[in-house]
Amino acid sequence: MPGSIASFIIGVSSIFLAYYLAAVGHGLMEKSGVLNLAIDGVFTLGVAVAFAISVYTFSVPLAIFIAMIVAALFGLMLAFITTKLPISHGAAGLSTMFLGYGLAALVGLPARQLQINGRSLATIQPSLGGTWIWFYVVAFAVAVGVWCLVEKTKIGAAIRAAGENPASAEALGVNVLAVRLFASGVGYALIGIGAALFELAYTQVWSQGAGMGYGWIAFAISLSAGRHPILILISAMIFAVLDKYRFLIAAIYNLPPDVGKMLPFVAAIAAMIIFMVTPLRRKLAPPKSLGKIYFREERSV
Amino acid sequence: MAAEANNAKPTFLSPPQEGEKPIVSLRGITKRFPGVIALDHIDLDIYPGTVHALLGENGAGKSTLVKVLYGIYTPDEGEIIINGRPTRLTSPADAINTGIVMVSQSPQIIDTLTVAENIILGLEKYNHLVPVTKVYKIIREESKRVGIKIEPSIEVWRLSYTQKQLVEILRAILLGAKVLLLDEAITYLPIEEKQRFYKFIRQFADEGGTVVLITHKIYEAMDVADKITVLRRGKVAGHLDRKEATIEKIRALMFGERSAEITYERLPTAQPEPKTVLEVKDLWVMGDFGGYAVQGVSLEVKKGEVLGIAGVAGNGQKELIQAIMRLRPIIKGRIIYNGEDITRKTTYYLRINGVGYIPDLPAKYGVSIENSIIENIAVLPVYSRGIINWDKVKELALKLIKEYEIKTPSPDTPVKFLSGGNIMKVLVARELTVATNLLVAYNPTRALDEATAIKVRKVIKEKVLKNKVSAIIASEDLDEIFQISDRIAVMNSGKIVGVFPADKAKREEIEHLMVM
Ligand SMILES: Nc1ncnc2c1ncn2[C@@H]1O[C@H](COP(=O)(O)OP(=O)(O)OP(=O)(O)O)[C@@H](O)[C@H]1O
Ligand SMILES: [Mg+2]
Repeated sequence: MPGSIASFIIGVSSIFLAYYLAAVGHGLMEKSGVLNLAIDGVFTLGVAVAFAISVYTFSVPLAIFIAMIVAALFGLMLAFITTKLPISHGAAGLSTMFLGYGLAALVGLPARQLQINGRSLATIQPSLGGTWIWFYVVAFAVAVGVWCLVEKTKIGAAIRAAGENPASAEALGVNVLAVRLFASGVGYALIGIGAALFELAYTQVWSQGAGMGYGWIAFAISLSAGRHPILILISAMIFAVLDKYRFLIAAIYNLPPDVGKMLPFVAAIAAMIIFMVTPLRRKLAPPKSLGKIYFREERSV
Repeated sequence: MAAEANNAKPTFLSPPQEGEKPIVSLRGITKRFPGVIALDHIDLDIYPGTVHALLGENGAGKSTLVKVLYGIYTPDEGEIIINGRPTRLTSPADAINTGIVMVSQSPQIIDTLTVAENIILGLEKYNHLVPVTKVYKIIREESKRVGIKIEPSIEVWRLSYTQKQLVEILRAILLGAKVLLLDEAITYLPIEEKQRFYKFIRQFADEGGTVVLITHKIYEAMDVADKITVLRRGKVAGHLDRKEATIEKIRALMFGERSAEITYERLPTAQPEPKTVLEVKDLWVMGDFGGYAVQGVSLEVKKGEVLGIAGVAGNGQKELIQAIMRLRPIIKGRIIYNGEDITRKTTYYLRINGVGYIPDLPAKYGVSIENSIIENIAVLPVYSRGIINWDKVKELALKLIKEYEIKTPSPDTPVKFLSGGNIMKVLVARELTVATNLLVAYNPTRALDEATAIKVRKVIKEKVLKNKVSAIIASEDLDEIFQISDRIAVMNSGKIVGVFPADKAKREEIEHLMVM
């Protein structure tokens, strides 16, 4: 077991925040109706970009900022092509994912070479100077902020309308393209920040493929919490603990290490079942038009 | 043919008063879809302070025209002139900004959003980060002024069809509509609300507002409209002034020769056989939001008769029909079909045993709009058990298209490309074919034009008379109930409050029981 409650809380703070931001960004984008299958590729790219910028400039804020911008651009692109053209969200997302994997290697490898040659990497230490407290503060602030935005404001209503039924939303006066660009841009900016923190505050090492698979975990976190910004706090925490301590847990209960790796996903399924049997299920149901191609001049009933 | 050529000439019977300028003018508006010209060089002037009715048979182009005005469709040719200025409308948001708002037959408001959220989406004056609660007050005030009760914080899925339509209309008012486009928006409201809204429309126009009204109820249009424009096959068949308009003239413009077939006379009374085809015994069924929608209903349908169920919308007819079709759980009571207790049987059982079904909201529950006419026929278990014989289904599809004059480029066209009434025709044609023993229907002629509606009733009655098919038909349209029924049951608050032989039933008495 971790030494104390404090070291446990500090230990998971960085991966918790990284997961949280990526999952909440994913949820925001999907609320607007754009199916996001590119997340793992762009997350991996964000990790590589943060690593490279940190190596080149030795500036953590700059690394986070650039990772955020790069990711946001991918969000805008995905929203644009899936809303403006009759392109399958699945195909666009998966192609972008592979693009992200490729670009990540391209961006990361030269920086890795520099690092091997002695250049060092600027990182964030959660345990230093109470940084970890800020990690939790940021997560909670983003949770409340995104929740208010989505549930309480006009643009939040527009995002949900675009996800439920874009044709109706348009008839009600929503500019579906603008709203999806906004939700996807902001969503991916959050995913980018999450990826940067994953690299700079959690793993703090990079090799080719770093971050791969973690985007999918963020995806699962978001889904298992019904894309709800507050509930995602809970599932992000569960996944963070399972990721950080999975080998320990496996060791304590004498499970094979592969079973340890599966734990987060078992937790995801369990969380989904729990949410779906409660009255929350209406609120947490996926947007009705998620991933559906939207032609403007077509009838919708 | 000659008559038609005459009709095609626009007959401006009363030129607008001197000095009055149209608020909206269309010049040569043309809209093509693959395989059809929905609008073919339409010229139309709409004047402020008028109610302008837009009439025409199913597929004439009425909805397309108002969708062009609302910025949903961009015309291929032609010009829209608003307040004297040529204007391009590229989205509904554009149209709303110029004061044009549309309300259509199927509510556009979104189920998972609250009333206030739905309304605020079109309100330009609020910026994006404004809390939705900001509009609660004006919604409450305005709804009181119009005389409807609406709670802004309620989620729309909890509302009935009528309430949703009221929200749509309220929304249009709150958006500051100067031109209100009503595409069969009022047609299916219960009588009381409908009358209130016709009154409201009149008042709105008298105060300088403009209304474009689409309806298949010609008498209602004649009652409320100042001007009438009839469309036929994408062209203007004629413009009429209220004073000059007679029902015969309008029908002739709308349907040409077909107008001769229109009659509201009672169809011949059937001579049912003693055998009971459908028996409902003390049936209790829940509504959507808790509470019993059907409360101890018992009724019988004999072989070869039409039982009409009269009632104002929302009195349990929908739930009763769904329970009979085994689409809604039965809490208590029994249903017997052809001597077989079907209380625990499935819809599938009924479908393979000669039951046809026309549901409420046909485009949602009756057909799959993404699929073609052929596929929508083939999907029924009578055709799709084992291997589907596509040739046979196609042959049937072609036959039905011809028989019911379904306007479609081909039997392979996805149903979503058809006009509202033609979607309904696909459903009705299919169901009348499979109803070899019993037809269960709710508003079977909803969205159909007059000529087609009457034809459908005739086809049903013919099957009842000749083939001894039985029918249970719930309808909110009393004309329909009287025209087709052999017996009339009145439903009110989930109960049957009276059963009458149709030839002796008195309209006043039935109306009284419906609203009692
Ligand atoms: N989005 C679309 N794509 C393809 N064809 C369309 C589309 N919308 C309408 N049409 C076609 O245009 C024609 C006119 O349709 P429209 O919906 O305007 O008729 P309507 O007068 O409103 O009829 P109804 O009374 O049945 O509602 C029809 O033939 C229809 O099939
Ligand atoms: Mg129409």
